[in-house]
Amino acid sequence: MAFEQELLALLPRLRRFARSLTHHPADADDLCQAAIERALKSRDQWQEGTRLDSWMYRITRNIWIDNRRASARRGVYADIADGVMQIADDSYVRMEAAMELNDVDKAMAKLPDEQREAVILVLVEGYAYKEAAAILEVPVGTLTSRLVRGREALVRELGEAA
Amino acid sequence: MSYSRENIAAYVDGELDLVTAKRIEKALESDAGLAKAVEQEHALRSKLAGHYAPVLAEPVPDRLTALLTSNVDDSLFRRRETVAAVRRPMFAQWGAMAASLALGLMIGGYALGGDSGYVSNRGGQLVASGALSEALETQLAATQGPNAAVRIGTSFAAKDGGFCRTFESASVDGIACNSGGDWRLLQMVSGAKAAEYRQASAGSLAEAAAGMMASDPLDAAGEKAAVAKGWR
Repeated sequence: MAFEQELLALLPRLRRFARSLTHHPADADDLCQAAIERALKSRDQWQEGTRLDSWMYRITRNIWIDNRRASARRGVYADIADGVMQIADDSYVRMEAAMELNDVDKAMAKLPDEQREAVILVLVEGYAYKEAAAILEVPVGTLTSRLVRGREALVRELGEAA
Repeated sequence: MSYSRENIAAYVDGELDLVTAKRIEKALESDAGLAKAVEQEHALRSKLAGHYAPVLAEPVPDRLTALLTSNVDDSLFRRRETVAAVRRPMFAQWGAMAASLALGLMIGGYALGGDSGYVSNRGGQLVASGALSEALETQLAATQGPNAAVRIGTSFAAKDGGFCRTFESASVDGIACNSGGDWRLLQMVSGAKAAEYRQASAGSLAEAAAGMMASDPLDAAGEKAAVAKGWR
C-alpha cells in the first residue's frame, strides 16, 4: 500500500502540474486519471529509492505530449490510453471561449509545449535543473535553453513588472 | 550588464556555482540593469507560483482518490457502472434485497416476492434456485434479451478465487457467487462467515461488487469461457 499512499499524497501537486499543462480543469483531471492508471499498471518499473514524484511527472507529461502529438497529426480529438479520456488539442481555444483567461494563462498558452513544460517544472514545481531535465528526458543544456526562451517570452507577454 | 540571461536565471533558480553566484551578488550592488533583471526573474517566479498555487488547496476529486484507495483496479468497472446507472436508475436496491433475504432465511424454502422459486435455503445458506440459478449458470450478459426475467450485470473473479455475478430481476437484485455448483446469495466480507448478510444502502451493490473483484470484470469472451467450464 506504500506505493498508493505516496501517490495519494502526491495528488494535489500532480493536479497542479496537469492543470498548468492543459489549462483546463476537466482535461487536467482526465490526464491525472490516465497517469494514475498507467502508474498502477507499470508500478514494477518504478525503482524503490528513486523519486516517485519525478517518475509520476514523467508519466503524466508523456501522456500529455503523446496526446498533443496525436491530436496534431489527426487534427481531431484523440483518445488517450484506453480511450477513456479525450484531451482536445484546442483546449486553449475552448477555454478562451468559455471563460476569461487571465494574463498568465494567456502567456503560458502562447508558449511552445517544450518551453512551457520547462518553465512549469522549474518555476512552478520548483525542480532543480537536473531533475527537470530527467523528467523531460533531455540534457540539462537543452532544458536551460528552453527555460531561458520561455522566460523571455513570458516577461515580454506579462510586461516589465512580470 | 555583463551577465547572460541564462546566468541570471540560473542565479535566481539557485543553480549557479558558488563563485559565479557570489560575483553576481557583488555586481548587484552597483549594476542597476542587473538588479532589475534579477528582480524581474523573481517577480516572474512568484507570479507563476502564485497563479497555480490555488490548485493545491482544491479538494482532490473522488474519482482520482478512488483509484488509489482501493487495491483493486476497478476503474473500468466503475466507468461501466456509471454508464449503466444512468441508464437504469433503479439498479441495486440492495437494502430491499437484504430485507428480502432476511425474510427468506426465516421462511426457509419458500419463494420470495413474485418471482417464484428464485431463492431457496440450503442448510441456512440462501442460494439461487430455479430460473435465477439457471440464468446465473448459463446466461451471457453479452447476448441476453432485453426482456429477460433475470438480467446479468457484471461477472468477475472474486478475491477468494470463485466467480461472482451481479444480477437484476423484478423482485431481487444482488450478487451471487458460485460455490461448489451453488450460487450463494451474499455480500462477501473478508474474514466473516460466508453466510453473513449486510444491510447496505441502496446503490451500493455496484460498489460492493467492485470491492470483491480480484481484477477487471470478465469481458464477453471471458464470460463465455466461464460458462463453458461451469464456473469452476
